[in-house]
Amino acid sequence: MGKVSYMRLKGSQNLRLRLLLSTLSTTPILIEDIRADATWPGLRPHEVSFLRVLEKVSDDCVVEINETGTKLKYKPGIVIGGRHLIHDCGTSRAIGYFLEPLIVLGLFGKKALSIRLKGATSSMTRLLGKSLELYNYDTVALICITNDSKDPSVDTFRSTTLPMLKQFGIPSEGLDLKIQCRGVPPHGGGEVILSIPIVQDSLKAITWIDEGMVKRIRGVTFSTKVSVQFENTMIHAARGIFNHLLPDVHIFTDHKAGDQAGKSPGYGISLFAETTSGCFISADTAVSYGRVDDEGELDDKKKELSPPGDIGEKIASVLLTKIEQGGVVDSTHQGLLFLLCALCPQDVSKVRVGKLSPYGIEVLRHIRDFLGVKFVIKPDPSTETVILKCVGCGLKNLSRKEMLTWDDIPFKDLLCFRMASQSTSLIRMGNLYEHNKVHNIAVNGPQKFHVLAVDQSIR
Amino acid sequence: MAKLSEISHQKSKKKNDGSNEQGHKSHRIRKSGASAKKKSKSNPNSNEGLSKEQKKINNPKAFAFTSTVKAKRLQSRATEKEQKRLHVPTIDRTTGEPAPFVVVVQGPPQVGKSLLIKCLIKHYTKHNLPEVRGPITIISGKQRRLQFVECPNDINGMIDCAKFADLALLLIDGSYGFEMETFEFLNILQNHGFPRVMGVLTHLDKFKDVKKLKKTKQRLKHRFWTEIYDGAKLFYLSGLIHGKYTKREVHNLARFISVMKFPPLSWRVSHPYILVDRLKMLHPREGLLMLREVYNLVQLAWTSIFMQLVSFSFPYAHIAGVGDYPLSGITALADPCPLPSAAKKKGLRDKEKLFYAPMSGLGDLLYDKDAVYININDHFVQFSKDDGANEEGMPKGKQRDVGVELVKSLQNTKYSVDEKLEKSFISLFGKKPVPSSEAPTCSVDAREVADREVLLEPVEQYQHEIKDEDGELDEDSDTEDDDGLESLDGGKISDRKTSSQTIGDSSDEEALYSSEQRPPTQNNFKEQLDFHEGRVRRKAVFENEMDIDNQKDSGEDDEDGQDDESDSTDNDATENGDDENLSTHSDFSADDEEDNEDEMGNASKWKESLSERTALRHNINLMQLVYGKPPSKSSNEMKDTSEEESEDDEFFKPKGEGNKKSKEGVNDNDVDIDDCSKFLSNASIKDWKSEDLIASIRDRFVTGDWSKASLRNQLSEGVPGDNDDGDDAVFGEFEDLETGQKYESHQDDIGDSHKDDDLAAEERRLKKLALRAKFDAQYPSFTTYNPFSLFGVRREPGPEMLTEFSDEDDDGNNDAKTSHGQGNGSGYFDKLKEEIELRRQVNIAELNELDEVTRIEIEGYRTGTYLRIEVRDVPFQMVENFDPCHPILLGGLALGEENVGYMQVRLKRHRWHKKVLKTRDPIIVSIGWRRYQTVPIYAIEDSNGRHRMLKYTPEHMHCLAMFWGPLAPPHTGVVAVQNLSNNQASFRITATATVLEFNHAARIVKKIKLVGYACKIFKKTAFIEDMFTSDLEIARFEGAAIRTVSGIRGQVKKAVKEEIANKSKKKGGHAKEGIARCTFEDKIKMGDIVFLRAWSQVEIPQFYNPLTTALQPRDKTWQGMKTVAELRREQNLPVPVNKDSLYKAALPFASKPKDIPSRKRPLLENRRAVVMEPHERKVHALVQHLQLIRNEKIKKRKLKEEAKRKAQEVERAKEEQVSKKRQREERKGRHMIFDCCIIRCTSLINLQEPMLPKCEVGEKAASDRQI
Repeated sequence: MGKVSYMRLKGSQNLRLRLLLSTLSTTPILIEDIRADATWPGLRPHEVSFLRVLEKVSDDCVVEINETGTKLKYKPGIVIGGRHLIHDCGTSRAIGYFLEPLIVLGLFGKKALSIRLKGATSSMTRLLGKSLELYNYDTVALICITNDSKDPSVDTFRSTTLPMLKQFGIPSEGLDLKIQCRGVPPHGGGEVILSIPIVQDSLKAITWIDEGMVKRIRGVTFSTKVSVQFENTMIHAARGIFNHLLPDVHIFTDHKAGDQAGKSPGYGISLFAETTSGCFISADTAVSYGRVDDEGELDDKKKELSPPGDIGEKIASVLLTKIEQGGVVDSTHQGLLFLLCALCPQDVSKVRVGKLSPYGIEVLRHIRDFLGVKFVIKPDPSTETVILKCVGCGLKNLSRKEMLTWDDIPFKDLLCFRMASQSTSLIRMGNLYEHNKVHNIAVNGPQKFHVLAVDQSIR
Repeated sequence: MAKLSEISHQKSKKKNDGSNEQGHKSHRIRKSGASAKKKSKSNPNSNEGLSKEQKKINNPKAFAFTSTVKAKRLQSRATEKEQKRLHVPTIDRTTGEPAPFVVVVQGPPQVGKSLLIKCLIKHYTKHNLPEVRGPITIISGKQRRLQFVECPNDINGMIDCAKFADLALLLIDGSYGFEMETFEFLNILQNHGFPRVMGVLTHLDKFKDVKKLKKTKQRLKHRFWTEIYDGAKLFYLSGLIHGKYTKREVHNLARFISVMKFPPLSWRVSHPYILVDRLKMLHPREGLLMLREVYNLVQLAWTSIFMQLVSFSFPYAHIAGVGDYPLSGITALADPCPLPSAAKKKGLRDKEKLFYAPMSGLGDLLYDKDAVYININDHFVQFSKDDGANEEGMPKGKQRDVGVELVKSLQNTKYSVDEKLEKSFISLFGKKPVPSSEAPTCSVDAREVADREVLLEPVEQYQHEIKDEDGELDEDSDTEDDDGLESLDGGKISDRKTSSQTIGDSSDEEALYSSEQRPPTQNNFKEQLDFHEGRVRRKAVFENEMDIDNQKDSGEDDEDGQDDESDSTDNDATENGDDENLSTHSDFSADDEEDNEDEMGNASKWKESLSERTALRHNINLMQLVYGKPPSKSSNEMKDTSEEESEDDEFFKPKGEGNKKSKEGVNDNDVDIDDCSKFLSNASIKDWKSEDLIASIRDRFVTGDWSKASLRNQLSEGVPGDNDDGDDAVFGEFEDLETGQKYESHQDDIGDSHKDDDLAAEERRLKKLALRAKFDAQYPSFTTYNPFSLFGVRREPGPEMLTEFSDEDDDGNNDAKTSHGQGNGSGYFDKLKEEIELRRQVNIAELNELDEVTRIEIEGYRTGTYLRIEVRDVPFQMVENFDPCHPILLGGLALGEENVGYMQVRLKRHRWHKKVLKTRDPIIVSIGWRRYQTVPIYAIEDSNGRHRMLKYTPEHMHCLAMFWGPLAPPHTGVVAVQNLSNNQASFRITATATVLEFNHAARIVKKIKLVGYACKIFKKTAFIEDMFTSDLEIARFEGAAIRTVSGIRGQVKKAVKEEIANKSKKKGGHAKEGIARCTFEDKIKMGDIVFLRAWSQVEIPQFYNPLTTALQPRDKTWQGMKTVAELRREQNLPVPVNKDSLYKAALPFASKPKDIPSRKRPLLENRRAVVMEPHERKVHALVQHLQLIRNEKIKKRKLKEEAKRKAQEVERAKEEQVSKKRQREERKGRHMIFDCCIIRCTSLINLQEPMLPKCEVGEKAASDRQI
C-alpha cells in the first residue's frame, strides 16, 4: 500500500501495447527517453490522444507526463467502459491505432463499452461541452481518420478482427463497429462507433491451427470527395488478379458524399478472404494526400496520388501474398491473436500463423514481461508456418460486477433468495449460460445449487 | 484385529481379481444372533404387520398414483431433485500428481483432536507419533497422500485452516454437546468454499445410560444435519482403550477418509496455495538485529499447490498473518514423501507407507536446496551405533548401507560438538578468522529434547573413507560431500533415520548444488539460521570453499562437468534457467551418462529420433529469437533483434523492418520505433499474374486441388483423412450455436506434426481418455477410489467400460456408444461436461509434448511438487514467533489482486451475533487468503440505484458494505469478525458477505437537508438566505426543488445580484453571499422555513490493517483499531447526547387528559332505574356467579405464578453469582493449564433452541464449576 513500484521501460516503441498490458495486468509503468534525441522530442499527438482514451474508459488512472513529454508515468485504474463516450482521435494516426487496444480493453471492463471516435477537425467546442456529460452516457465514440495506409482500416476491423474475437468465446451481440463518416488524411473527419461487450469471467482458450482453403473473397472500396469511378477501377483491377484463382469474389463500393465523406479526398480498398475453416485474411490500404508531418515538412503534397488501378492490383497481390504465407490470421492480426491467447484461462491455446511479423514478436515479448506468459514457438517446415502454444495467464475480469452464478456462493446467502421467490419455475441448466440475468439461485445442501428463477427485478 | 481384517480384504480382492471383474461380496443372511432373531420375528407376519412403505415395495402397482395432479406434482418433484443433484462442471487443470489432501481436525479444546490424529497416523503407518505439531503427511494409498493438520483453537487459526482444508473433521464432545467453535468453523468453511465435512463424536464413554447415549447421538446428528445437509456423515468414536480410540473405529474412519472425493473449490482452483511445513531463515541474525531490518525467508513447503504456480503470473503471495510479499525464488525439490511407483501391484508395501512430519518429531530425510537433513530419534541412533539389525524394516540396498556407514562413522567421533566445530574451522578455514561473536548467539530452543545432534566429520576425512568403497558409489559420495560440507559449516545436523527414503541420486544433488544462487553482496562467510522443530540452528556457509569444492567435483567426473555445462548453457538459454533445471536434471540423470558430447543436456530425451531433435533445436532457436537470452525488461530487447543477424535462420527473419533494424543496430531510433501493427512489406510484392505463382497457391483455394490442400492440412495437423470422418462423427455432437467452430478445431489439432500413425494412436488414446472421464463422471459409484483403495487397489474397468474401450480400432463402435450415451444423458449438462473433459485432455496432450524445461516455463510448477520458496523482506518476528501448531499458509495472488481500492460486498449480519453492526466500527474481514481490519460503511441500494448510507446494518436483511482494502475478485466469500479474543463466549462471527465489485471511487450518499429563511418576498418569488453559504454553491443547486414546511413547492433559480439583495450594504453593512432567488407555486410567508433536500457524498475511510498475527506470540490477542464504544468504555466517557434530539414526552391522544365540560345534571343512562324480569334476574345472577368463580380462579393462578417466579428468581440469582465467580476465576487463571480431566455436567440442553448461544454459556459455566 502507499508506495507504487513502477515497471521501468524505455522509448516510445509499442506505447499503446505497453499501456494496454499495463492496464490489463494493473502494473504501473514508467517510460523514459521517449524520443529524447529526436528533433521533436516527447509524445506524439496520437499517443497523447490514446492516453486520453484510456482516461476516458477507466476509473482512477493516473497519467503523468513531464514538460518535454519524454517521460511518462502511468498508473492504471479500473476499466469502467460505459456507453456514449466520445473521443477525438486527432489526425496524426488512423482509427486502427486506437481500435486495436480498445477492443481488448473493452472486454475486461465493468460495463460494455461503446465509444464514438471522431476525426480531429470537428468542432472542439462542441466536444468540450459534451465531455461533461461523459459519465452519464454509456458509449465510446472515436472521431478520426478511418482509413489510411499505415493502420488497419475500419473495414478490415469489421470484416476480420471482430470475427476473430468470436473464436475466443466473445458473444457476437454487442460487438459492433459502425462507420458513420469516413475520413482520410490529411484532414480526417471520420466517425465510427465501436461497441464491445465485456467478458463475464474470462476468455476461452482456442486451438486454431486449421487454416482451411479460401472459399470466398470479399471486400469494400470507398471513396470520399472523389468520383465513384475510382472505386470501379480498383475493383476491376483487383478482380483481374483474383479471376485466375476464384470465381467467388465480390467487392462492394461505398461512396460517401457530403458530411459523411470527411474533409479530404481519398479512396481505398479493403479485401478479405474467408477460408473453409472460418479464418479471415485481410489486406487494405487507402490513398490520399499525405498529412503534414510533425517535423513541419510537407510530405508529398504535390505528389500525384497513385492510380486506382494500381492500388487495386497491389492490394489484391498483398492479399494473395498473405494467403500464401498461411496461418489462421494475417500478419496484421498476429499481435492481437497472441495477446488474446495469453489472456485466456490456464488452458493450452494453440495457433498457427505465417511468418512472425515484427509487431507480433514485440507483442510476444511484452506479453512475457507483463503477463509472464511464454509461448512455445515451433516452426512447421512443411507449410512454412509457425505454430505457437501457450498456457494463458488466467486473467479474469476483475472489474466486472458480481452476478450470481453457480460457483460456491456461501449458501447461507442463498437461502433468503429462495424464500424471496416462492413461486419459482425451474429452468434447465442450459439456460444459465444463455441468460446473463440469472439473479436467483437457491441451494439445498452444500455445493448443490440450482437456479430457481431468472428475474432481473429481484435483487 | 485391524491387520486381520486387512488381510481378509486383500484375500477377497485377490479372489475377485482372479475372475477379472469386481464383484461385491454377497450378503450373508444371519443364521444366529440377535439380528437373526429379529428377522425371524418380523418375517412370518404377512402383510398385516408391515408398514405402508413395505407394502409399497411388495406391491408397487397398487400404490401408483391415481390423479393427474398428483402425477404432475411427483414428476416435477422428481425433476427438481434431479436438477438439485447437478452442479456446474469445473475443469480440473491439475496435471501433476495430486497434492496431499489436507485433513483438518478441528474441535474445541480437550475434545481429542491430537489423539485422533495420532490414532490415524498409527493406523496408516504403524508408528506412534509423540506429539502433533505442524502438518503431518502420510501416504494412504497408491495415488493418495493425506496431510493431517490440527486446527488451532483461536479464530485466526480457524480461518486459516478453513482456507486450506480439503476435509474437515469436526470433533464434538458427545458428552457435552456442540460448542461454539464448531459452528464458527462451519460458518467460516461455508464462506470460503465448502470443503468436505465430517463430524466425529467423541467422549461417548461418559454416558452410562445406553438409552441416553442413543438419544443424544440422535439429537446431535439431527442438529448436525440441519447445519450441513441431511445425511451428513457423523462418526461415533465410542471411547478409549488404553488411551487410544478403538482400532476398529479408527479403521472405519480411515476408510471413510480414503474414499472421499474432493471437489474443486472455485477459489482454490484459480489461486495456488501452499501449506508450509518448514521455515528457514537465510540471513545472519546479527546484521538483522543491528539494522532492525527484515531479511530473507525461505519457506519449504509441502506441495499443496492446487494449481500451477508460475513465479510470474502469480508474482505475489500472501502469507497468512504476515502480508503480501513478492516471491523471489521458487525451486522444485525432491519429494520427501513421494507417491509409490506406478508398478502394477496391489496395495501399498510397508516401505511405501511413508510419512513426513518435520515438526512433529517424526520424519524422513529432508532435502533442501543445498543440504540434506537426516533426523534420527534417540533409540534409532542407538541402533545405528551397535551395528544392529534393521529395526525399521529398511531395505538393505547398497545406498542405504553407505548411509548407515556414514552415520555410524559420524557417531564414532570422540570429540564433542563444540570442540569439533572449532577444530574444523581451524583446519579448514584457518585463513579466514571467524567472527567469534557469531557462534554463541545461536539460541537453542528448549523444545529440542528428543533430537540428537550429530556432528559430521570434516570433509577430507570421509571423502577418504568413501573412496574405499566401490566405484559405483561415487555418486553418493559426492552427495555426502555436499552434505558434509554443509553440515560442517552449519555446525550441526540433527539426524533422523528414514524408513525407506533413499539418499537421492547424485545428479539431483549436484544440480541442486551447482545452481545455488547467492546474493552478490554477501561476504564469503554467511550464516544460515534454520528453524526446524522450533529450534534455531545456524549454519555457516563459506562461499569460496564451496566453489573450490565444486570445481573439484566437476574435475573428478565428467558427468558432473556435463551437468554444470548444461547448466550454464541453460542459464543462457532460459530466463529462469536456474530454477527449472533442477527438475530436469533429476529426471534425466540416467540419460546423461550417454550423451557426453551432447551440448544440450536437456535434449537427451529426444535423442532417439534425430528428426525430432532437430525440430527441438529449431524450436529453441525460434524461442530464443523471440525471447532472447537476457531476462530483459524490453529495454534490451532491441539487442536481441540485432542478434537475428547471427542466426542464419533466414526463414524466420522478418523481411522488411527486421533487416532494417538489424542494419541500424542498437540505437535510439529502435527504441522509438513507430507503433504499427500492420506489416508493410511493399518491396516483396510479387506479380501475381504470372502463372507459376498462381500455381503455387492454387491449392490454398477451394478451386484448387482439394486432396493436395487436405494433404497440407494433414501434414500440419497429422490427422489422416479417414480418421477425420470418424472424428466428425464423434465430436460433431458437441457443436453448439456459439462455439461450433471451436470444437471442430479441437479435434483437428489433437495431434501435432509428427508421424501419422503415432498421431492416430494418440488421437484414439485421447478420445478414450475423454470417454473414460465422461464415464467416470456419469457413474460416480465407479470411482477410482473404492472403499478398499486404502490398500491401493485400483478399480478394474466395469464390463460396460470394457466393451467400450477394448476395441481400439473399431471407431464405428465407439461412435455408436458415445451417441447412445448422449441420448441418455440430460443434454446440455453432459455436453458441458464433455466439453470440459475434452479441453482437459487436449491440455494434457499438448503439455506432454513439451520437454520438461519448457514445460515448467510454460505451465509453471505442477501440482504436487515439493517446492522451496524464497520470500524476501519478511519481518523477523515471523520466524521469532513461529509456532508449528499454527501452520503457515502461503497463498498466491492472481494478477492485479495486490491492488488496493474500495471493495463492495453484500453483507448480512450473522443471525447469532447479538448486535447489529454500526457503520464505521472496525471489523476484521477474511477475504480470499487475507485477513485484515477495515472500516466499513453500510449502505443499501435504493430503487433508483442510489447507494444510501445506513447507520446500522439491517436486522435480518442483506445490505451493502463498502470498505477500503486489497482487491478480491467478485464472488469471493467474506467472513467478518469483530473480536479475536479467545475468551469471548458468544458467537464470534459477526457477518458473512460476498464480494460484488471493486472500485476506485465509492459513491455512497446520505441525506442532507438544507434549511433557509425568506429574507424578501415578492409575489411568487422570494429571496432565501442561510440556505447556501456562497454564490458558487447556489450555482451548483440551480433548479433544485425546494419546499416550505407548509408544503409549498418551489425551485432554486439563481444567486441574487448583490445590489438587489444587500440593501443593507449601502447602509454600511456587510455584503452577504449565498442569497438565492427562488420561485414558489404560491406566495410564501415571511415566517416560512424553506427546505432543500439533497444528498451528500459519504467519505469512506481509506484504512485497512492487515492482521499480523504471525508476527506476535500466538497466544497474544491481536490488537487493532478499537471501536468508538470500546474507547469510550476504556476512558469512561459518556455517550454524547444532543439535547435537541431528545423528544419531549408527547403523549398519545388516548391518554391525554381531555377537557370535558362538567354537567350539572347526570346523563339519562345514569338516572334511569332498571327493573329486571324474573328470568332476566336469574340469568344475571348466574352470570355473576360464573364471573365470581372465574375471578377466583384467576386470582389463585396469579398467586401461584407469583410464588413460582419468586422461586425462579432466587435460583437465577444464585446461578448468576456462581457464574460470576467462575468468570472471575477463569479470568484469573486464563493461561493456566489444567491437567485434570474435566467432568462435565451431563444435563444437556436442546440445541435446536434458537437461544443456543446463551444456553451454552450458562451450561458451560455450571459445568466448569464442578471441576
